[in-house]
Amino acid sequence: MTRALGWLTVVGLAAGLAAGFGYAPREAVQGNVQRIMYLHVPAVLTAYLAFVLVLLGSIAYLATRRPGWDRLAAAAGEIGVLFTGLTIVSGSIWGKPTWGTWWTWDARLTSTAVLFCVYVGYLLLRSLIEDPEARARYAAVVGILGAVNIPIVHFSVKWWRALHQPSTILGPERSPIDPAIGLALFVNWVAFTLLFAYFLSRRMEIARLEEQT
Amino acid sequence: MPSNWGYVLAAYGIAAVALLSYWRHLARRTRALATRRAAKPRSA
Repeated sequence: MTRALGWLTVVGLAAGLAAGFGYAPREAVQGNVQRIMYLHVPAVLTAYLAFVLVLLGSIAYLATRRPGWDRLAAAAGEIGVLFTGLTIVSGSIWGKPTWGTWWTWDARLTSTAVLFCVYVGYLLLRSLIEDPEARARYAAVVGILGAVNIPIVHFSVKWWRALHQPSTILGPERSPIDPAIGLALFVNWVAFTLLFAYFLSRRMEIARLEEQT
Repeated sequence: MPSNWGYVLAAYGIAAVALLSYWRHLARRTRALATRRAAKPRSA
């Protein structure tokens, strides 16, 4: 099952690259540097998904005390940190030619950096507590509190004056994106979601093996 | 607007290295745990 998912992910990522670099046109204002969007936006959407799973796994663990929910939260948290890191790095690289700076203390960038630090803290906490029951309990509390950051990151561009552009995909209005660019973005989002599912499956298998050995 | 292909390659290159490194980390950890589990004597 995981192997098949892995191959499906490879096909998805290849399709994403073909869509982003072959099918999607050169953006009229930004030029080719806009193609970083096909990496940046799917990465942040995957990070949101991961942290929502941390939240759900944490709530379910506290309600049921079943270790499987803790394994889900731990695995999703680790992968979420990876994708948030990719979001920050790709955004910074995109920012240099378009905004003229690698970094600015804009509301969206700052809240994303805070999100990254919170979940790095979540992973550190997990590594510091040896007792599995206590680790799962404390981590679940942090996993629930940390999720407060997700809407703050998403709505930061609406709530504060920001350099970062407002939401075009998950915004309330119909997306103004060109259909070809939108399709390339969709293909890459599907590919990243498959990659997330593959990593999650493998990471949860590791957690299960760790408990048995 | 110049092409800025260097920035595009840098972003995708860093992402590829990070994702491949994480995949290798998962594969190595799985192998190590499977080997340890196989070597562990079974209790009666």
